[in-house]
Amino acid sequence: MAYSDKVIDHYNNPRNVGQLDKSSSEVGTGLVGAPECGDVMRLQIKVNPETQVIEEAKFKTFGCGSAIASSSLATEWVKGKTIEEAMQITNTDIVKELALPPVKIHCSVLAEDAIRAAIGDWKKKNGVTEGAEVAQAVAAN
Amino acid sequence: MGTKPFCDACGKVQPPSPDIDYFAAFGLPRKLNIDLSALERSFYRLSRKLHPDVYAQATQQEQQWSLEQTSLLNDAYRTLKNSIARTEYLLKLEGVVLEAGKSEDGAAKESRVPADLLEEVFELNMQLEEMRMTRKMGEDDPQLRKDLEKAHIDFESQLAASDSNLQDLWTLWGTALDNEDTARKSETKDQMVALLDRRRYIRNLVRDVNEALEA
Repeated sequence: MAYSDKVIDHYNNPRNVGQLDKSSSEVGTGLVGAPECGDVMRLQIKVNPETQVIEEAKFKTFGCGSAIASSSLATEWVKGKTIEEAMQITNTDIVKELALPPVKIHCSVLAEDAIRAAIGDWKKKNGVTEGAEVAQAVAAN
Repeated sequence: MGTKPFCDACGKVQPPSPDIDYFAAFGLPRKLNIDLSALERSFYRLSRKLHPDVYAQATQQEQQWSLEQTSLLNDAYRTLKNSIARTEYLLKLEGVVLEAGKSEDGAAKESRVPADLLEEVFELNMQLEEMRMTRKMGEDDPQLRKDLEKAHIDFESQLAASDSNLQDLWTLWGTALDNEDTARKSETKDQMVALLDRRRYIRNLVRDVNEALEA
């Protein structure tokens, strides 16, 4: 099976590799793994408390090329988005962008899980509950 | 159509039943504590009786069926004789989906991996990476090597512990099956899934640590 050019590009030039200060209240950390292949992925976001915009995103992934590319792309996509917008990113978007074959779809699922876990961690740190958020969304409409 | 490979009345080879499972192919209940030497004996006994060579002079239909029976028997034996493959196979028969991905309703599955295991796996991978990079620069960090050797011993013993835990779960499963205890069956199933997940991570780690130490 051949990797698509986009996967190879992200694999050779991964964007946003690194880490953010885990203890900072503005930082959300998601650590997820796929037991099937033994991959582990850490994705971190730094959120502006005023605007809820994700200003910085970093990742570190141990796994196959597709897992690295999926998480690299995920950090690119979440940057500049609000928490709400970032929650809309799904694994299918990642599959499409990277042209992942069916056997590698679980890598994109992992990246989606990592985004959600990072956002979940940030929300927990900042006392944002799901209910409050719904109320906020309703108020915004 | 029965699950036996031969007709009770005429003794002739029959086509494999489409819904036969590997346990039934050996006339075994769906239990995981298996007498491996008895399994091997059954395998050879059935193989001799079902082998296509025996049917060289038989009708084409019988030749075909003997081929299908032999192929099923080979797959069944290969799966059942391996403790992990056997457990995974039973879980699949019992409706457990071990592959990653989304459930049918599209919702992301809950992560089955405990957080502390992930932390541990992540940390060890960081160490491994550091060691590979140090090596690349032609250096050898004795402390790092020590850490890795310690991790190696630790993970090997975790692997051994998980194998012995798995055997305990096999026994619990067998008892639950005998008692038709649905709650206990489902509980044991979940425990086996969790154990296999953890085991896969540890096995990968052992492999990676070995590679780093040998490189």
